[in-house]
Amino acid sequence: MSSPFSSPDKTSDAAMSRRNFLRGTAALGGLTALAASLSPLLELDDLTSTEKFLQKYYKEMTPDDMSKVIKRISNEVERQYGVRPHVRDLKPMDGVEFVYCLNLTRCIGCRKCVHACVNENNQSRNPEIQYIRVLKMPHGSMDVEKGNHTYDDKHVPDPGYFYMPIQCQQCHNPPCVKVCPVNATWQEKDGITVIDYDWCIGCRYCEAACPYWARRFNWTKPQIPKERLNPNMAYLGNRPRKQGVMEKCHFCIQRTRDGRYPACLEVCPVGARKFGNILDPNSEVSYILREKRVFIQLKEEMGTNPRFFYYFDK
Amino acid sequence: MDPLPPLPDGRNRARTGYVLGGLAVLFVALAMLFLSTMREHVKPRKAIPLVDTKFLATTPWRQTYADLVKAKADLSDYDCYGCHEKNKPPTLRFDENQKIIVPQEHVNIVMGHGSHGRNNLCFNCHNDKNLTTLQVRDGREIGFDNIPQLCGTCHGPNYRDWEAGAHGRTSGYWDRSKGDIVRLSCANCHNPHSPRIPTREPAPGPHALRAVEESKPHDAAH
Repeated sequence: MSSPFSSPDKTSDAAMSRRNFLRGTAALGGLTALAASLSPLLELDDLTSTEKFLQKYYKEMTPDDMSKVIKRISNEVERQYGVRPHVRDLKPMDGVEFVYCLNLTRCIGCRKCVHACVNENNQSRNPEIQYIRVLKMPHGSMDVEKGNHTYDDKHVPDPGYFYMPIQCQQCHNPPCVKVCPVNATWQEKDGITVIDYDWCIGCRYCEAACPYWARRFNWTKPQIPKERLNPNMAYLGNRPRKQGVMEKCHFCIQRTRDGRYPACLEVCPVGARKFGNILDPNSEVSYILREKRVFIQLKEEMGTNPRFFYYFDK
Repeated sequence: MDPLPPLPDGRNRARTGYVLGGLAVLFVALAMLFLSTMREHVKPRKAIPLVDTKFLATTPWRQTYADLVKAKADLSDYDCYGCHEKNKPPTLRFDENQKIIVPQEHVNIVMGHGSHGRNNLCFNCHNDKNLTTLQVRDGREIGFDNIPQLCGTCHGPNYRDWEAGAHGRTSGYWDRSKGDIVRLSCANCHNPHSPRIPTREPAPGPHALRAVEESKPHDAAH
């Protein structure tokens, strides 16, 4: 091929050196531009380590692999936040399927659950990531389009309104799991849909697929003040996330798989939130689904079949 | 792309020079541009104050008499017979609308039990024969440490729900093999004299990801 750019010219030394000079300048300029465009990478302080890069898929990890991963995570958290965490990989229990029931008669819209959740699950404080949205809805309608989640009343409840907190519904048929191209999110046998933050590629398909707007994306590195970091962590739960991954409510896996109640339930001042094992006929949730006017699974018509039930007292 | 038409030797060399020179200038300009914008590409976000820890508290907002006893708190306010006479039931006084007159000594008590001023008699619940206990309408005496038994005599369905863990705040363990469920007493949340839960200040709402102009919260009722 004889293009003018590649045709050798061995006749003139002067032309050679000039050409070489121009070539050199172009190459230097190009390299500088490349380096400059890559320079934001220098700001990544948690750049992938070999260990992290070679980490196996969660479901393929042996207990040995997992203990190494937990050690790595503990070190990372300690380095970044100055707090030594207690990270565990809690597995689902046999004969347990979690269900959440929320009493719309009782909820007063105080948003304590929102912030207890942020505090328990190490969500970013700025920009804010919150798993729970409390909708203020006018009486007489269940249309969420009429809801407002930015209300700033001096006092709640406001007469003429009811409040409807929405968070991950832990569907039986979760659309978010179906769309994940890398299987970074899946449903566990106790009903919790979890995310492996080390496997997520941040494509946000799940965020788009979720009809409840339950999934949140880490646009930046999460900002968590050291004194507010919760050191009781779980691998699939509240360990600090990194930039560019999804997160969502996981029924406080680090608490509930340990037999405790979720943080949003314990903080609720009116006892509107109820949680338990639906396979146990003596649990509160079994009692509620049996005895109460369980009104909706939110957006029932989507066929997602949530494990989150809204009910009324009277 | 088709190769350029052959040109005389000198012009060929000159064109190469121009193209390479132009490219070099372009690259250098791009490099300068990248370097100059690099430092300021992240705009600082608006500060969001940390939420007040009062919104994170899981303690009940009322303490019952039983809690005070357990905490060995100062109970001098609860010494009924410091003022009342033993074996002499206190008399109740009413105004012309048959509303009970709360005596000066108990002025902190707001009578608001029942939506139409029903249940407005102290001795519907307090024991007139022994002020340190409560009584059910059938005359059974109930201690201050056993309030749900008293409330349950009128509020049956709520009592049933409470027993099942479905009414009222709970904490502790859903898995009873690991620990106990902690249920609160009625008076930990409800003021027995005015049981409706008072309104309160909500915790702050969500802040937008980007700093947006002050927008009015859209009217939910439209």
